[in-house]
Amino acid sequence: MAQIAAQRYTGASIRRSEDPRLLTGRGRYVDDIKLPGMLHAAFVRSPLAHARVLSVDVCAARALPGVVAAFTGADLEAMTVPGPDALSTLMGAAGPTPEFTLLATDKVRFAGDPVAVVIAESRYLAEDGCELVEVDYDELPPVASADFALDPGSPPLFANLGDNIARSRSRNEFGDIAATFAGADRVYDFRIDVHRHQNVPMEGRGCVASYDPDLGVLTMHAATQSVHVAKIAVTMRLGMEPDKVRVLAGDIGGSFGLKIGASREELATAAASRALGRPVKWVEDRTENLTASGQAREESFNVRAAVSNDGDLLGLDVTMVIDTGSYPGMGGMVPAIIEAMLPGPYKLAALGFESVGVTTNKAPYVAYRGPWASETFVRERVLDLIAKDLGLDPLEIRLRNAAPRTDPPAVMLTGRPLAGVTTRESLERVAKLADIPAFRRRQAQARAQGRYLGIGVATFIEAAPGPRSPEGASGPMGSESMRLRLDEDGFVVLFTGQMPHGQSHQTTLAQIAADEFGVPFEQVRVVVGDTDVVPFGLTGGSRSATMTGGVTLHGARRLKAKVLDFASHLMEVSAMDLQITDGNVGVRGDPASAVAVSEIARQAASGEFGADVDARLEVEAVFDGGEGGWSGGSHCAVVEVDVETGIVTVERYVAVEDCGVLINPAVVEGQIRGGVAQGIGAVLLERSAYDADGNFQSATFMDYLLPTACDVPRIEIEHLQTVPLDADVNFRGVGEGGMIVAPPTIVNAIEDALSPFGVRIYEQHLPPARILELIATAGSAQPSGSAQPGRSAQPGGR
Amino acid sequence: MKVTLTVNGTEYARDVEPRLLLIHLLRDELGLTGSHWGCDTSNCGACVVWLDDTPVKSCTVLAVMADGHRVLTVEGLANGASLDPVQQGFAHCHGLQCGFCTPGMMLTARWLLNNNPHPSSYQVREAISGQVCRCTGYENIVKAVLWAAEYEAGG
Ligand code: FES
Ligand code: FES
Repeated sequence: MAQIAAQRYTGASIRRSEDPRLLTGRGRYVDDIKLPGMLHAAFVRSPLAHARVLSVDVCAARALPGVVAAFTGADLEAMTVPGPDALSTLMGAAGPTPEFTLLATDKVRFAGDPVAVVIAESRYLAEDGCELVEVDYDELPPVASADFALDPGSPPLFANLGDNIARSRSRNEFGDIAATFAGADRVYDFRIDVHRHQNVPMEGRGCVASYDPDLGVLTMHAATQSVHVAKIAVTMRLGMEPDKVRVLAGDIGGSFGLKIGASREELATAAASRALGRPVKWVEDRTENLTASGQAREESFNVRAAVSNDGDLLGLDVTMVIDTGSYPGMGGMVPAIIEAMLPGPYKLAALGFESVGVTTNKAPYVAYRGPWASETFVRERVLDLIAKDLGLDPLEIRLRNAAPRTDPPAVMLTGRPLAGVTTRESLERVAKLADIPAFRRRQAQARAQGRYLGIGVATFIEAAPGPRSPEGASGPMGSESMRLRLDEDGFVVLFTGQMPHGQSHQTTLAQIAADEFGVPFEQVRVVVGDTDVVPFGLTGGSRSATMTGGVTLHGARRLKAKVLDFASHLMEVSAMDLQITDGNVGVRGDPASAVAVSEIARQAASGEFGADVDARLEVEAVFDGGEGGWSGGSHCAVVEVDVETGIVTVERYVAVEDCGVLINPAVVEGQIRGGVAQGIGAVLLERSAYDADGNFQSATFMDYLLPTACDVPRIEIEHLQTVPLDADVNFRGVGEGGMIVAPPTIVNAIEDALSPFGVRIYEQHLPPARILELIATAGSAQPSGSAQPGRSAQPGGR
Repeated sequence: MKVTLTVNGTEYARDVEPRLLLIHLLRDELGLTGSHWGCDTSNCGACVVWLDDTPVKSCTVLAVMADGHRVLTVEGLANGASLDPVQQGFAHCHGLQCGFCTPGMMLTARWLLNNNPHPSSYQVREAISGQVCRCTGYENIVKAVLWAAEYEAGG
């Protein structure tokens, strides 16, 4: 089979191998699984934000025909091993751990907290059973705001913590804060708020747990970002040996950080299956998803900024309060990442960072696409506010402050080298593409007609994976493993711990392996989602491009060397003279010598080779991220604000991104666009709203508004691929960047549109009603930089 | 209650509870799991199928209301082994990521193109505006539908 010089798959928008099944309705999502004898779970949830549970009576539910069992929180505790949340344990959460039970036992901590589970022959019947469960509550004062949670008099959610401080106050300083602020021309004070919003994948959480009493084995079909993390949670909580638990996952309808490990409800479902010896399915409905799956952000920042009259940002001194909701998990880890990332690509001289995390009677805090994103929002918002006050152009202030690309690279104040960061390039390019001077002319004309257009620019960097630190022994994101094998059918099989839920790993990893090994793309199989066969891994943190792309590349290279080594025995040619192209092993320059890799694999499996020949065509590869590198980019939005209705229309959106070498441009751009759409939603529509009593106000899609095709514009994307740092692996992650940088981009544009009214914006959520309020109240409480020495702290924001 | 309906050309007769929703009849009783359930309030469109010749949100239709009617789901969209141009368009334009919203999107798109073979991108956006995709930012869905329109026009 002669072949012209093989084209490379890497870098091409190869059509996805996931699509044939998904386009024909043959995908297998967790709710599609139906096992013989399968039962269905539904949860009884607290209607109150904060209350003592006096009694839970499940007798009437148990008596309902079709109901097989009903368990209370106390029942579940007796059926499982008590202990902290597995995820917090894995992530090494510090300090005393709040009490963690699968269902609420002595008290409920948010409206939606599960108090009982009913297991029935159908979901309909299980829900009927829930109606019959009687719970007596003794209502407690709700802790519905971070401010109240900080009050030592607020009733503690967790008795063992004694107060509502989930993460105690801590402060770090980098550089000389006192001198920097003393020497600055101006000092600004702002309070910036980021509101609570949430992941909302189109498929909610869910699982089918199936316990085989004869074998003592629990098989869990999960929708999770990591089958192994889910397995750890199950083994810990159910007190089972690792070899008795198997977690499987198929297609997953999105997650965006929500589905890491196994949730309380999923663990309760597993416990129920074991108790009943039958498969049990739980798939949350949308109300459960919005109310109880978890929420993110809700952070406030008091920011002091030391600035020169020319617009040099010299120092930041920030105090952050994070509302981690009930059952703090991820929320406790966010401040440290925000601290590390706050300087961004800018050359600050000093940074002070103080943070405190509180528990409140709201849904638990979960990871949501770029969990630390507020660092970018705060920085990019503050820069615009300062630029306005100093009469500087937003682009100019950024270019002025962005660290130049030098050798050796500038180092972030918090420690990481800014190796290969192309902030200046992307800012200049996005400004050119958006043609800001032409926009300003159009803006002026529009204003003359009573129309308010605005333009906003923001820039970000993301440690995806981040640079290798000069002294660090290991890579920036730990390591990633993969097993690779050449099968007798000629397929190169990759076993990865990645658990794709839209990221297209089955396509992108195959592209890399096909190129590196030398088989057609169609001849690579990517195996995911089975703890019995895949190595440990997690899809999240934008890690897979570098980490899994890299382990695929190096693993395929090693597998190829092994196959060639074996083939050299078979063909009696030096391995040096052999190559693999288009699925055939052959002697260089002798096309007639070509032997299909499937034939090589069959020979290897024949068992006819002695101990001196390594016929096991399989390798285990580990990759530590190589030299790593940053992802980043600059975005620009043009918006129109209707000042009568408060409606904001995003007219144009341009992104200039640098994620290094693209594996599959269509996939990369899909990730960017999806992230930007969520960022637009976060600003204009989405809010996880609670009233003053902790009642959840956005439990359906009529109240939690998601962006539709009419809210999201076309998103223009250009790529920079500026600086390779590693000899082989320069793919970088793009999963989170869109969601990180779109909110400040949009808010900056809105403020620009409303500048004739003197509007200044210190918050992220700007639905129409809020826009109208901002216009109506503009001019009051505007902050301004106070000239030294008489620097007064004029509070910004509301 | 007895229902008899034709789904993707095959007739099915089932005895169902009066409260059973069409989406659950399709998924749980008939094993056609390509249509998805994404909300409780008829807002997401993951469940869109055709009832006779019109797209409907099958979470809003009782199974018994489909008695005597024809239903088309994603499983019936391809013509044998050859994918419908809308399906091809989604593959060609990377119109899906997780794929959860995709069946509903494609059924609406198929209906749009039957009624308006040359839609503008705005008309495509309007047609799918009652449906939510959380992954793609919609742009590639719009491209996919326009690709199918062009393909069918012989382009
Ligand atoms: S399931 Fe959401 S509209 Fe039908
Ligand atoms: S592709 Fe995931 S919801 Fe549309």
